[in-house]
Amino acid sequence: MREEDERYFARLEDELDRAMDVAREARERGGDPTTDVEIPVAKDMADRVENILGIDGVAERVRDLEGEMSREEAALALVEDFVEGSVGDYDTKAGKIEGAVRTAVALLTEGVVAAPIEGIDRVEILDNDDGTQFVNVYYAGPIRSAGGTAQALSVLVADYARTLLDIDEYHAREEEIGRYVEEIELYDEDTGLQYSPKDKETRHIAENMPIMLDGEATGDEEVSGYRDLERVDSNSARGGMCLVMAEGIALKAPKIQRYTRQLDDVEWPWLQALIDGTIGEDTDDEPEEADASDADEPDDVEDAPDETEGPPRADPSKKYLRDLIAGRPVFSHPSESGGFRLRYGRARNHGNATAGVHPATMHLVDDFLATGTQIKTERPGKAAGVVPVDTIEGPTVRLANGDVRRIDDPEEAKEVRNGVEKVLDLGEYLVNYGEFVENNHPLAPASYTLEWWIQEFEAAGADVQAMEDSVEIDLDDPTPAQALEWAREYDAPLHPKYTYVYHDVSVEAIDALADAIAEGEIVTGDGAAAEPPAGKEATETATTGDLVLPRSETATRTLESLLVEHTQTDASLIVPTWRPLVETLGFADGLSRTWTIEDLSERARGYDDGDNAIEAVNEIAPFDVRERAPTRIGNRMGRPEKSEERELSPAVHTLFPIGEAGGNQRDVAKAAGHADEMGDAPGEVDLEVGRRRCTDCATETYQARCPDCGGTTETVYVCPDCDREVEPDESGRAECPRCETLASPTRTTTIDVGEVYQQAMESVGEREVAFDVLKGVKGLTSEEKTPEPMEKGVLRAKHDISAFKDGTVRYDMTDLPVTSVRPAELDVTVEQFRELGYEQDIRGDPLVHDDQLVELNVQDVVLSDGAAEHMLKTADFIDDLLESYYGLEPYYELEDRDDLVGELVFGMAPHTSAATVGRVIGFTSAAVGYAHPYFHAAKRRNCDGDEDCVMLLLDGLLNFSVKYLPNQRGGRMDAPLVMSSRIDPAEIDDEAHNIDIVEEYPLELYEATREMAHPEEVDVKIAEDTLGTEDEYTGFAHTHDTSNIALGPDLSAYKTLGSMEDKMDAQLEISRKLRAVDETDVAERIIEYHFLPDLIGNLRAFSRQDVRCLECGEKYRRMPLTGTCRECGGDVNLTVHEGSVNKYIDTATRVAEEFGAREYTKQRLEILDRSIKRVFEDDTSKQTGIGDFM
Amino acid sequence: MPRETPVRIVDELASRGYNTDREAVTLLADAPDTDAAIERALEAVPDDAVKLSVEDVRDVLETNAGNVDRSRGRSDTHSSSDSGERDPSVSSGDPSLESSHDRGAVPPETEGVESGSGDGNRTRRERDPSEPAIAGDVTGRSTGTGEYEDFVAVFRDRYEKLSGQLRGRVNHRPTSAVESMPGGSEAAIVGMVADIRSTANGHWLIDLEDTTGTFPALVMKDRDMADLVDDLLFDEVIAVEGTLADDGGILFADSIHFPDVPRTFEPSTADRAVSAALISDVHVGSQEFDADAWNRFAEWLHTPEADRVEYLLLAGDMVEGVGIYPDQDEELDIVDIYDQYEAFAEHLKAVPGDMEIVMIPGNHDAVRLAEPQPAFDEELREIMSAHDARITGNPSTVTVEGVDVLMYHGVSLDEVIAELPEDHASYDHPDRAMAQLLKKRHIAPQFGGHTRIAPEERDYLVMEDVPDVFHTGHVHKLGYGSYHNVLTINSACWQQQTSFQESVNIDPDVGYAPIVHLDKLDESDASDFLTIRSFG
Repeated sequence: MREEDERYFARLEDELDRAMDVAREARERGGDPTTDVEIPVAKDMADRVENILGIDGVAERVRDLEGEMSREEAALALVEDFVEGSVGDYDTKAGKIEGAVRTAVALLTEGVVAAPIEGIDRVEILDNDDGTQFVNVYYAGPIRSAGGTAQALSVLVADYARTLLDIDEYHAREEEIGRYVEEIELYDEDTGLQYSPKDKETRHIAENMPIMLDGEATGDEEVSGYRDLERVDSNSARGGMCLVMAEGIALKAPKIQRYTRQLDDVEWPWLQALIDGTIGEDTDDEPEEADASDADEPDDVEDAPDETEGPPRADPSKKYLRDLIAGRPVFSHPSESGGFRLRYGRARNHGNATAGVHPATMHLVDDFLATGTQIKTERPGKAAGVVPVDTIEGPTVRLANGDVRRIDDPEEAKEVRNGVEKVLDLGEYLVNYGEFVENNHPLAPASYTLEWWIQEFEAAGADVQAMEDSVEIDLDDPTPAQALEWAREYDAPLHPKYTYVYHDVSVEAIDALADAIAEGEIVTGDGAAAEPPAGKEATETATTGDLVLPRSETATRTLESLLVEHTQTDASLIVPTWRPLVETLGFADGLSRTWTIEDLSERARGYDDGDNAIEAVNEIAPFDVRERAPTRIGNRMGRPEKSEERELSPAVHTLFPIGEAGGNQRDVAKAAGHADEMGDAPGEVDLEVGRRRCTDCATETYQARCPDCGGTTETVYVCPDCDREVEPDESGRAECPRCETLASPTRTTTIDVGEVYQQAMESVGEREVAFDVLKGVKGLTSEEKTPEPMEKGVLRAKHDISAFKDGTVRYDMTDLPVTSVRPAELDVTVEQFRELGYEQDIRGDPLVHDDQLVELNVQDVVLSDGAAEHMLKTADFIDDLLESYYGLEPYYELEDRDDLVGELVFGMAPHTSAATVGRVIGFTSAAVGYAHPYFHAAKRRNCDGDEDCVMLLLDGLLNFSVKYLPNQRGGRMDAPLVMSSRIDPAEIDDEAHNIDIVEEYPLELYEATREMAHPEEVDVKIAEDTLGTEDEYTGFAHTHDTSNIALGPDLSAYKTLGSMEDKMDAQLEISRKLRAVDETDVAERIIEYHFLPDLIGNLRAFSRQDVRCLECGEKYRRMPLTGTCRECGGDVNLTVHEGSVNKYIDTATRVAEEFGAREYTKQRLEILDRSIKRVFEDDTSKQTGIGDFM
Repeated sequence: MPRETPVRIVDELASRGYNTDREAVTLLADAPDTDAAIERALEAVPDDAVKLSVEDVRDVLETNAGNVDRSRGRSDTHSSSDSGERDPSVSSGDPSLESSHDRGAVPPETEGVESGSGDGNRTRRERDPSEPAIAGDVTGRSTGTGEYEDFVAVFRDRYEKLSGQLRGRVNHRPTSAVESMPGGSEAAIVGMVADIRSTANGHWLIDLEDTTGTFPALVMKDRDMADLVDDLLFDEVIAVEGTLADDGGILFADSIHFPDVPRTFEPSTADRAVSAALISDVHVGSQEFDADAWNRFAEWLHTPEADRVEYLLLAGDMVEGVGIYPDQDEELDIVDIYDQYEAFAEHLKAVPGDMEIVMIPGNHDAVRLAEPQPAFDEELREIMSAHDARITGNPSTVTVEGVDVLMYHGVSLDEVIAELPEDHASYDHPDRAMAQLLKKRHIAPQFGGHTRIAPEERDYLVMEDVPDVFHTGHVHKLGYGSYHNVLTINSACWQQQTSFQESVNIDPDVGYAPIVHLDKLDESDASDFLTIRSFG
């Protein structure tokens, strides 16, 4: 580690220690459930694993093993320790296996996610039909967060433990096999799997799996065929099991095989058939087309069976269009001309699963794209977060007056937006090389861009270095004459600026365009052509004039497809920058044609069936012309970016129970004055709370601190059957020795909420006017049901913030990566940056200006404006809490948000159980949380639209308690059970290691893309290469800059538009405007995937709905025969009304009509419409025939 | 599954060097798995024998009780032995039904059709059906507008009607009155089942609801009637007699009563020799629609053998429909819904013009899915105008020649089969599920599950009167039985196994036409009034 890195971490840890000291002192004084901070600091992964599992000795053993072997191997080695009993204290075989399996999952997930504790319920030893025993692993839904590899290996670990313990294999019964097949299909249909195994694959796995995979039911839908099986206790789909089998075993078979081969005792020979796809030997049906792996193999279908030669192309895939939702537009259909053009490069705000889009494009897709908006994409991954990059090319549009121009300026985009008739091209789409590595996706042919050209130019003999140094030469933006001269002089390909997309037009179209040019003329100055378009090089026009062609449909379309900027009049098309075009098309001076279509070779004419003119153009042109944009990437909007506070619904200020007394809003003040019946004391509510006793004076209470003497209190367990007190055993289990039932730590008692409320306000010196409303909770869901001191709630309400289920205050943001920043764009000064310890910019120059680019430290984070404001409020709350509740000095004392810079926060992702310490260094107007990719990876997030939260450091330390967490499946997810104080790059999600960290890509990369080579075949430095070296925290270079990390709209239109219908109208509107989008298909998909399911679902829900009492909220499965509520006599009403059933039918019908949906779709709507009317209309009240009038 | 022909059995035995007699052949043909039966019989015969005797065959068949199955002709379906459950053949009825089955089900391609298309037309007798009467049809009478009150009205109507049937049997007290009765008294409640839950000790608590409130009844797990709890569905109406607990508050159940069909029930009969064909689930438009089977059936109807079959009752799913499940269009032969009905109408034209046809819709048809389903609208009637068929709602009671046939498509069977123990209702024995519905005197008791309810002013799904025949379809399995003398028939279908059915392990029975001889319904031997014809 470099010295400066050491200093950086030391600073963070000093600050953390300081906060810890304050928090410890406070916790000792206050009425919190425990007297110490409940988030332990983990130094490394081994610590986290041990902390999450709560098995002593694991950390030490993990550290021993880590140096010697990979994490996977360590997981297997630990199995032996568990079996021997040298790690963990288990008496039973099942216990040993369970410990080993949990540890393996924890290890493989770096001790960050909740899967090892929440995703594995238990391990059992059961009996086979032949009397032998087998192992059953019982999974739960949260195993999802472990990911496929860890899921699969958990089974392998169980099997290894099984063999060591000499237990037999599981022999599945025939009906159990059938059940697996049916259930996985059901789960896939219902919830969706990343990989849907074929029936025969599932069958194969089930038949051969030596361990029984079982689990908790996770959904309501039940299997219909294989029901009521003896050894499967639910008829519903067992989500955890389905995930392990499909996304674990089936999808990761090759990975598991790697480890089974290393183990002598474990043999899974059947994996081979799974990997080869040769199950059952009926090999006539080879693996077919569209599944997850199709992208992995270069496409040989393209050139093999078809005789015509064509260009190298990645196969179009329309998977991303599935489940299209109303209001979320499609930006391009698969690989469609006019869609985003793939450019290789990594911008500084680019990394795991992100896509660089020009800010002008964001505006021109009617603001649907903003920084952080998630898109579902055709390749290389499935989804990506959008980042603004303005050093790539913008979109090309046709305006209402027929002008075609490229828009590279976001301001210009906003100006012309209303006049745009068609977006002919969405501009470039920046994807970094590492993204292809991560997704194991063959390199798709690259756009011809400056980076590539310049290397070819240099290779052709140009002294690029000298040219770059020359003030007269602009390599990025040469004049046409200069570009043509270079092409000729050096025999280099034509500069990309003047290379048009010839591959998107046919040979015929080029021929016709050549005819049109031959008929055209060059008009100078005051000739026929009017004013040159704004912003065009005046010199160019003045010296050489404009090319004026007779206007025709075909010529217009061809110029538009080629993306040649032009204007038009009634009779003519005017091309200002015409020379490169005409020279490329083989015209010598004087606009006379030098070739006919017959002169072209057979090959050029027949290339790609004549639909691609690139070969023809290369025969005609006097220089090489590269394919300008061979790879177009389809995508659609996924979900919008997010930046908002995390609120429970209804919001909660205090985790203090008030039952129904506070009404639906859980208003504590209302509960304080509530009385069930006349004569009842107001404010007294019957509540289930913890049963505790003071260790000093034996006072019985529900509070963590004795209200009488201030001593600490202990939970008292009482048997529900015989009322005797039970001492919990070492594992915390309290079973009544007489009744063998579990003793309960809670009781129902009457609490005077009014009194608690008054005392809380008094104790922190606040009055009711200090806040609008104080909201509590209905009841507590934690095991011991210990309420939070209400004082905290009073202060939260005062500062207008609310608490999450674990007592912390959180703010959610979409994750985006950034590796270098400018102080100016973060709204901070260079002085502040220097105070934070930044001394140099990325070039190594001293940091003196606000706009110098600085490489980001790995744990530094950028808050969105909203997050900053929320953290400020939280800081005020904490200070108030310290002073008036704990009686300590305030800690933060922040005046404005500038003071937030340098403060520590926790970053914490859903489904995980470990927080990562981060430091605030600035702010952005984008609705996202920018941070180093390593920071996100430490939380096990990538940036494809994922979101997670930040918490203020001291809030977490003071207010978090495990005792508040719900005592149910998943309750410990999303809670900071442990924190990492410093990031070890080797111990984070290895996805982040695939980020490339170079300033430019080598020529071989661009050339390899033409071969659609595997990314590993090209040598580009990625973060992995620096792991374990001095430089592992630094040197994250990028190929593309962007002027600001928050360009384009601040919010996606999806969030600013109001109703669903508005959103959908805007979506359809944009689909008409984009050349790469087929609007009928969009309409069809919205109806198919959004409206129809909604209509059908609601209609079905209507005819089998619950009802609810309007007064007391009691729910009934069926309408009571009394008509009114059986509990309170109040009015009961439906939960699904006519309005919710038919709300979309008119819209759907209109859209189907307007966009020419298929007859099939229209009929479905028609039948549904009729069906709905038949339910909601009274037949007898409408006149149906002449008879009714007689 | 086509029946075994005697000829084939004789040939088979001959090829192994055995003679046999007629009765033995019949027995073998009746066996669910004829080939296996032959094998076992041959193993059993003495080595020196040259003839396979009736005794030999019977011994073999009886030692393997699994092959003789189902209830005896006129007895309650429930009393049937549970043996033979593994037999996948749905059409193996009780022995007496079986024999008629055999006679009637000579493969049409070898006998019926040929003789029919030969001299049949010349000697055919004209049919002279009378017009069926329809009752209990919601078509044109749907008044519900989907308000809360409509739902309350429909459930109250159900309670009124069904409690009326039970009141005579127990000394009913309203739940509100029971609440104030002293502990230890005897009491009886007629209530709608609001909830069923098991207690920690494995007893059952049933919440009974009437128009005054609810009251819990406790069924002890060790009582005989505890088994009845397995058969209970939410929202059916039952009567419970018992004793109140000492502190009131709960009724200890001593007996449970269902509305049920009286054991003394005697079906009505036609006063002339006339029959009806009961079919359903044609699914025209599906790629799996078995047009060949349908054509064989239609051709057979033209033969003299079918002269007495004057009525054709169709219990829904005329067409495959559109949008019934996701991506259905990929499995459709005819994608346009109207074209599907056109095609169905064409197939219907193959049926003799002098037959009377009655049709109700099913869940694949283009009408509302919620039950009761009104009949096809004008546009669809227009398309299916051939034969001037009677088009009525689902359910409807159709009276032909004095015999009441309750026609119901059968969506609730899915629910009954899912909820009840397998030996009381299963896809292999849909008639058992139907018997349960008869016992509950309601077509679709449970609200909130599979079955969709459209609220109407009265509950069209209550069986106010006991039908003579109960006819359903939907599950694509052939099944028939008799419950307290009511003939239950679930028609099979005319659609081969779909990929969906394959995935959920359902093997449909395709191309069966149960023929009910309406004049013989009071006969004690089912073979006299039911013949199963196979055209698959």
